[in-house]
Amino acid sequence: MKKTVDVSIPLGPVHPCWKEPVRLKCETAGERVLRTELELGYMKKGIERIMRGRPWQEVMFLAERVCGICSVVHNMVFIETMEKISDIEVPPRAAYLRVIANEVDRIASHLIANFSYCYTIEHETLAMYLLNTRETVLDNLERLTGSRINTAYMIPGGVRFDLLPEDGAVMLADLAKVEDEVRRVVRIFETGPLIALRSRGIGFMDREEAIRSHTVGPTARASGVLDSDLRLRHPTYQALGFEQVTRTEGDNFARVMVRFQEIFQSIDLVRKCIDTLPEGPIRGGGFCKAGEAAYSGEAPRGELTYYIKTDEYGRVVDIAIRTPSIMNIEACAHSMIKNATTIADVTATFISSDPCVACNER
Amino acid sequence: MKYLYEKDLRPMKYTILTSARHDEATRAIARQLGVTDAKLRMVLIRRLDMSLLENLGSRWEMGQEHADSSDRVAEELGCELFTRFIPLVDTETMQSIHSDTKTMIESGSSADDAIEWGRARIREEVLR
Repeated sequence: MKKTVDVSIPLGPVHPCWKEPVRLKCETAGERVLRTELELGYMKKGIERIMRGRPWQEVMFLAERVCGICSVVHNMVFIETMEKISDIEVPPRAAYLRVIANEVDRIASHLIANFSYCYTIEHETLAMYLLNTRETVLDNLERLTGSRINTAYMIPGGVRFDLLPEDGAVMLADLAKVEDEVRRVVRIFETGPLIALRSRGIGFMDREEAIRSHTVGPTARASGVLDSDLRLRHPTYQALGFEQVTRTEGDNFARVMVRFQEIFQSIDLVRKCIDTLPEGPIRGGGFCKAGEAAYSGEAPRGELTYYIKTDEYGRVVDIAIRTPSIMNIEACAHSMIKNATTIADVTATFISSDPCVACNER
Repeated sequence: MKYLYEKDLRPMKYTILTSARHDEATRAIARQLGVTDAKLRMVLIRRLDMSLLENLGSRWEMGQEHADSSDRVAEELGCELFTRFIPLVDTETMQSIHSDTKTMIESGSSADDAIEWGRARIREEVLR
């Protein structure tokens, strides 16, 4: 970047507010941030390269290791892409169980995202409430899948474990507690004057810019981008009557609030799934064939796309993963933070976009 | 000991640009601009940061879908595409190229010739 300003302030690669290492160089004039440049490369895994040439049974485990926070959806999108290539049908009960796992994972992801934001704006009390609530959510993910992270729950043609009725009842009771707790936190968040000072009108991104940079997920929905939730096009979600959450403010407050609203929505979806869980098998079977497909699913942070090419033995010949953070981090660095009135808002704005550097660097 | 943030980022930027999907996008942009792939990669590495390079494919796709298509000259030149979607030319320069091209057409030059002239100026700006 050509240096034309007073001071270049580097934030990171190691920063107390950031979950993962990334370097943000802010070019400032006084307190105003004129432009920013992002440096990645501190945690490059090269996971796409590691996946190439391996059988799908191995790649399935690697896929969910792209990101520890939203591992379930990486598993889901990889498996659904393989199913698309191989024309494998999923039994209805398994499809519903997938939604439950995915939504519980989404709640956990949104809770940690909002925890990070509250922590960044120095509201540690709220942050700790959220982190504590997340424990209950992860316990329920473990109840369903046997693991809190990297669950490897979905397999081509179904899922690995069924949900017992007594486990379903405990999950519903736990989610009711989570809902009450999150409702209380949202009330504090919405009405807190100091929170408003750090959040409302800060890190603004308009709808046009969100579309230009292909922003996805809650970050796009907070800027009023309609039809930006891929769950609208997923057959199981359509059967459950899913509707997208959208806000129009486009600031830090809106991004956090969209995630809170989606937590309530996810709890409702889990309830609907458990109440109307179809009877039948949880595995349909099938063989992975040679082919090529691109498939997108809605991760907690937005659109997640897998391009996969397989051979006749089910080996992954070629793979490319487009994670939501690629778009969201870029939009954040070049649009939301640009022209920030004070350098103190940079960290809060960056965290409000729920950046996942592990996803970004793959 | 040499820290990563003191390192030259060009090899990492090059790695981003040569992955399968990014390579497709780079080649498509090079074709539209009429420059070689290697030259365009060099410009992209010099001008854009790592996150913008990672997002290049998505921005190119969104540019194809949403860039201004009401004005034929602007569309052919890629006025919005190369300023707002993929920031390779600054807005003022692009506006001046656009208006000069339009003036050429109004003063009797054929549209194709004028657009080719406009593209040549954009190429100059990009490679500068």
